Amino acid sequence: MAAKEARDAVGEYKAGWHDPENATIRFDFGLSEQVVRDISALKNEPEWMTDIRVKAFHHFESRPMPTWGNMSMLEDIDFDKVCYYLRSSDATEKDWEDVPEDIRNTFDKLGIPEAEQKWLSGVTAQYESEAVYHSIREDLEQQGVIFLDMDSGLREYPEIVKEWFCSVVPYQDNKFSALNTAVWSGGSFIYVPKGVHVEMPVQAYFRINAKNMGQFERTLIIADEGSSIHYVEGCTAPTYSTDSLHSAVVELIALPGAHIRYSTVQNWSANVYNLVTKRGIAHENAKIEWVDGNIGSKLTMKYPAVILKGEGSHAEVISVAYSGKGQHQDAGAKIHHLASNTTSKILSKSISKDGGRGSYRGLVSVSPKAENCKLNVVCDALILDDGSRSDTYPTMEVANPSARCEHEASVSKVSDEQLFYLMSRGHSEEEALALIVNGFFEPFTRELPMEYAVELNKLMALEMEGSIG
Amino acid sequence: MNRVKIMDAASLYKSLGEPDRADHLWRYTPWKRVHPSGDLGEIPNAVAPKLTLSCLDEDVALLGISIEEGIVGAEVLPESDEVTSSFIRAAAGDSVYTLRVENNFVASAPIVLDIDTGDSPCALHLALDVGRHCEFELITQVSGAAPWTGFLRSGRIGDGSILNDVVIGHTDSGTLLRVDSIAIGRDAQVRVGTVSSGSDRTKADLRYKMGETGGHLNVLGSILSADKMHLDHHVEIHHDAPETFSRLDWHSACGGNSRTVGTGMLRVAKGARGADAGQLFHNLLLSEKAEADSIPELEVSEHDVVGCGHGTANGPVDEDQMFYLESRGFDTEEARDALIAAFLNSTLVEMGSDTLHHWLAEHLQDELADLSS
Repeated sequence: MAAKEARDAVGEYKAGWHDPENATIRFDFGLSEQVVRDISALKNEPEWMTDIRVKAFHHFESRPMPTWGNMSMLEDIDFDKVCYYLRSSDATEKDWEDVPEDIRNTFDKLGIPEAEQKWLSGVTAQYESEAVYHSIREDLEQQGVIFLDMDSGLREYPEIVKEWFCSVVPYQDNKFSALNTAVWSGGSFIYVPKGVHVEMPVQAYFRINAKNMGQFERTLIIADEGSSIHYVEGCTAPTYSTDSLHSAVVELIALPGAHIRYSTVQNWSANVYNLVTKRGIAHENAKIEWVDGNIGSKLTMKYPAVILKGEGSHAEVISVAYSGKGQHQDAGAKIHHLASNTTSKILSKSISKDGGRGSYRGLVSVSPKAENCKLNVVCDALILDDGSRSDTYPTMEVANPSARCEHEASVSKVSDEQLFYLMSRGHSEEEALALIVNGFFEPFTRELPMEYAVELNKLMALEMEGSIG
Repeated sequence: MNRVKIMDAASLYKSLGEPDRADHLWRYTPWKRVHPSGDLGEIPNAVAPKLTLSCLDEDVALLGISIEEGIVGAEVLPESDEVTSSFIRAAAGDSVYTLRVENNFVASAPIVLDIDTGDSPCALHLALDVGRHCEFELITQVSGAAPWTGFLRSGRIGDGSILNDVVIGHTDSGTLLRVDSIAIGRDAQVRVGTVSSGSDRTKADLRYKMGETGGHLNVLGSILSADKMHLDHHVEIHHDAPETFSRLDWHSACGGNSRTVGTGMLRVAKGARGADAGQLFHNLLLSEKAEADSIPELEVSEHDVVGCGHGTANGPVDEDQMFYLESRGFDTEEARDALIAAFLNSTLVEMGSDTLHHWLAEHLQDELADLSS
């Protein structure tokens, strides 16, 4: 019954539509230095940004593909068949009614206006390559919070962007961060002034709507001393028969005493490559949390990272991954303890079903000068049926004897006792399984804003449909 | 026959490229660091070590167990790393032996296989041919002053056999390259212990295949590293058959400027229903400049498993335990030594019988003293 209710509530895969491609500017497929320069020129960017883009492009060209993760899937990416820039609306809009109708319909289906009314303090919605809608509550503006799409941020606050851009994720970091730096468009730019606490979560939806469309948003969040912010990012995409590429970079800077929580629920359709670099730097007594849900995509390779640079800083990564038919979720976390008295916690949960593969890949390091660090890593995996697979690849590098480090992982099936208990109380086997799976993900969902948690539970109930018998 | 195999191994090695450091096996100790000369194309003319088989109880006659020259069967598992196994086979040349154990062999006291490396580069390929329903304990002690030692063990533990198998790396200095490539027979119960206390540099690639129903394997390690030692152990256990059980428990105490690396891989294949697999790495860091790295990996492709898990923990000597001992009259140094010894002993004691344990503990006294100093 739970599954049926969920289907009634959610309908068919609710994000599985797409609008006509009424794009106003679309580049030809393929990438070259000229394409990179054209993107930069089109945006009228400062010279230093063009230079970074070009350097990043050459690094991308020379850098080989990763030799880990899912190499066979990575090799299927044809970078010459990706469109690296597409703009569907000429101007960044502030008034929802001014957004073109077909685009607005798409976002209406995603429920953004309602979400904004009930929960959110600001919205910036990424449609293809640029933000088309942006609003922020007046009280936040009065507090001095800057919440813009990244292109506007570069135009209006070039000095702040120049100071922090590529400071956490340099373009040389990996092949996909180089690609993103070369062709980035859109994303969010947030600056929270000293001592300001953004009470309500700030939200952005990202969405790919054209086949073979790459999406390369760039997000930069700077929380100044003693401030706090919770940023929520959701991704949905229409189902298409050809592959799409999503390669974002997110940089977080938590200055002394600041707190940043970055929550993501990605539900890309099963033809999207989701290759994302997310990293934050935590200064003295700062705290960075990544809450990361990976439900969709064909291949996800994403390892939210925190560099604990300041004494007393703290990092947490809570992630869940669901791998269904044809999917490989290669997700994890990386935490580097560079300073003394730093603490971190990683909780990773994954479910594999219908031949899907879930992998946890993590790295935790303690540098020689970091005294009295504490870290804890827990990975749990459920394999629901024959032919599915779960992997765990954790790495711990400890170079200071005062560190206390713990890691534990388990892979198991749904226990017959739990199923029997629930079925003896009137649930069908399918409902019982859905309940157990939702309970398994509960440490993650309780950290999400309520509407996200409700939607995630419904999605998981849908995924469990037909899994028995 | 041997010459053909030597040619095959050398050709195979030369056909392989330098291993990729992205592979966890080579991430912390690249092949160049454990190759005898660093010139990767070169295969040394290693000498054969001196082998001596005896029993801890001199009254026990060695009937049914023997060392024979040459190898028949006992191929290296396809799951093993080709670079290391082909290199040792090529370097070993005629230094190939078989430890043959007849069906139903039983020994009441541990059997000791001494391998004296001498003082020149040395290599050995030893095949284990353990028959059915045997029950015995084997201590293999590698000692000597060779600057480089390559030691490959391949073979199979027979159906229903019960074997406690301990290998002690006890060389004075130099590099020890060790490879295990061993299949566990149906319903066999095997404990494989590794005690590593010698050599400046150790690279061990230990792989065990549970390809037949009911196999039961415990892999245990007690690793003592001091000075500038670099001890890297990779343990891989393959559950390919139903109802197989494995546990890995690895304890490393790391002092001085040394570094220990423990990488584990538990691979449960599709069809290995009822598999029960777990691995634990514990690292005790004893000095500011010591470093310990652990990567316990899991790949599970079968959903109907009893459970698969792993864990790792790093930390210093526990202050509460120190306080407890000091409050009962131990001075600081004695308390620390006792806790280090207890840490290493917790895996040593699981490696076999009381007799075996006492023998191991006695042999490790000196190394413990070195580590503490």
